[in-house]
Amino acid sequence: MAIQERIPMREQDPEVRITNFLSVPLGYSAEEAVAEAKRCLQCKVPLCETGCPVRMDIKDIINLIADEKFEEAFLLSKKDNAVPAMTGRVCPQEDQCEGKCVLDKTGQPINIGKLFAFVADWARDNELMDETTPQENGKKVAIVGSGPASITCAVDLRKLGCHVTIFEALHMAGGVLQYGIPAFRLPRDVVDYELSYLEKIGVDIQLNQVVGQNVDFEELKKDYDAIYLATGAGAPRFLNCEGEKLKGVYSANEFLIRVNLMKAYKFPSWDTPIFCGNKVGVIGCGNVAMDSARCAKRLGAKEVYILYRRTKQCAPARAEEIHHAEEEGIIFKEMISPCRMLGNEDGWVTGIEMVKTEFKGTDKSGRPRPVNIEGSEFIMEVDTIINALGTTPNRLFLSNVPELETHSWGGIKVDDNFMTNIPGVFAGGDALSGGSTVIEAMGNGRDAAESINKYLNK
Amino acid sequence: MKHTITRKEDLNAADYVIDVIAPKVAKKFRPGNFAVLITRSNGERIPMSIEKAEGDKITMYIKRLGKTSRELDTWNVGDALYKVIGPMGTPPPLKKYGTVVFASDLVCGHAENNAMCRELKKIEGNHVISIQSFPTKEDVYPEKERAKKDADEYILATGDGSVGRKGHMIDVLQELLEERKIDMVFAGGDIPALQKLSELTKKYNVPVMTTVRQIMVDATGMCGSCRVFIDGEQKLACIDGPMFDGHKVDWEAAISRLAMFKGKEAEAMECYNEKMKAVV
Repeated sequence: MAIQERIPMREQDPEVRITNFLSVPLGYSAEEAVAEAKRCLQCKVPLCETGCPVRMDIKDIINLIADEKFEEAFLLSKKDNAVPAMTGRVCPQEDQCEGKCVLDKTGQPINIGKLFAFVADWARDNELMDETTPQENGKKVAIVGSGPASITCAVDLRKLGCHVTIFEALHMAGGVLQYGIPAFRLPRDVVDYELSYLEKIGVDIQLNQVVGQNVDFEELKKDYDAIYLATGAGAPRFLNCEGEKLKGVYSANEFLIRVNLMKAYKFPSWDTPIFCGNKVGVIGCGNVAMDSARCAKRLGAKEVYILYRRTKQCAPARAEEIHHAEEEGIIFKEMISPCRMLGNEDGWVTGIEMVKTEFKGTDKSGRPRPVNIEGSEFIMEVDTIINALGTTPNRLFLSNVPELETHSWGGIKVDDNFMTNIPGVFAGGDALSGGSTVIEAMGNGRDAAESINKYLNK
Repeated sequence: MKHTITRKEDLNAADYVIDVIAPKVAKKFRPGNFAVLITRSNGERIPMSIEKAEGDKITMYIKRLGKTSRELDTWNVGDALYKVIGPMGTPPPLKKYGTVVFASDLVCGHAENNAMCRELKKIEGNHVISIQSFPTKEDVYPEKERAKKDADEYILATGDGSVGRKGHMIDVLQELLEERKIDMVFAGGDIPALQKLSELTKKYNVPVMTTVRQIMVDATGMCGSCRVFIDGEQKLACIDGPMFDGHKVDWEAAISRLAMFKGKEAEAMECYNEKMKAVV
């Protein structure tokens, strides 16, 4: 029997979407979703589920979709995933569930991400919520940060009956989902809807609470039975090269925070400005680099370059993001590495000196190691540079709690149960790892919730 | 939390003072901290120096400069800001310095001057001298809004000498450095002036801490917009500062980077003016 091809995802036309910040994928219709779900072989041993950091019942959910039992499918997905509408959109499925799908060998794995997004959107359209009324257990847990790890940990602990309070430093909840990922990838009504679920089940989200600055950590320790620190990794890494002080040089975080959190693309009706030139160089090739490049395009940049020291085959970005970026006219310059940034007398960036690279051996990550080719330096003219070199753990909170043990690179140290050196204080998400994906942070939040629950019932 | 304005008065033709309800900020404030204001839900996050914290209120001095500060100026007592967040930043140590000067020449600097002198004076062994300079007599703040009562010695200066000493804060400081032993200098205000002031203190081998005002977005250490270079090392004004050792600051970069959004700021202002015209 010939393998039936994936039901294609309808998308906004690239020419049109580079003029707006609306969702690129348009989502499956019910008919399309059922047809895609019916392609599933319902393997006896569902390998897809072994690839899921939050261990969703993928096989059964797909079966329910195939039977048009959308409500059941939604409730089952919600059992293990607090925010399926978001993860369906932002997970690197090709490395996880879809990468393990037996159909992946044919190049046509089940489109699990889009199916789950469909089910979650369907539930929202039909005003269906997972109406859990937790049995109060009298335990109080404080969570610092409101990103993916916190959301998952909060929901799991709340369902177990804990009273959960989230302290968020910014004026909007969601962490990277709010300030990092652009609306064309994760529409903000989806984020708002998913976060409203937390409030619905009784999680208390307190905004503008900067623990260590206006909330005493010592007071938290006194007032709560356990604390979960998921303060994230939002501190930008810079190259520390010549010219990085120039105007027109951004960290990807600054560029994205302006666009996503502060809605600078609506300037001047929204107050926060953004400057985006005509020729933009984005250094790096991860999801954040793709997001920055595609935002720059939407802000009107004529030429946007991804500058990468490897080839895009070794890039950390999701396949879909690279594909979408290419469709939108983002130009990939591979096997080049930045040396320094050049500026004019007014202190504005005018160019970047790059050096060509070649592969020699492999590095710790198993990817080919790029080595600079001496004497191959050349200059590219750019008027905006965005550093998307990754991030390190946020140090604002950490600097206020010196007794908390951290690694030399800034990550919080924990034991096998995610407990820090301070009893009752747990940590997770990117504050541990220094940067991963939304779903990995969620998996981490789920594991921590389990440990916290055990600790509380000791 | 409703961040209601409880007082709003003119300091001079360009500057005004507001008191705002912000209990959490007020409770934890120390001189050298700042607050982040968001005036409306679609507003920007703007860092603002705090002049004092009393009860559940904080006091801020604001210059009618850009769109947000001009718009806020049209608000009245009883109106409420969308968000007031903080206190942010890492204040310099409040301790015994000996003879310590705070010099300021601009709105935020004056607020910092008042706040810092008030606390330094409480510490035994400190002799606190406050210098506040204004362009001319009309610009001088009312006496209760100056550091006169907060310092052991107070020197008012105007650029044209129309009241107080003639000259800028730097001129007054230079005279002081010539006359007697100064152990420590703090300063806040106009960035190019702070560079000159830092160079001056270096000549006299006196340590200096100055506010290095930079553009901030989140002000929690995540965007890197406010990066400053201290002895070649990158620091963030929002969490490591905003006060730094003036002898070590890369002033050229600090001055240049402040101008990054000049064009956009003008655009916002123009747009606001058009809107106000339409309202009239």
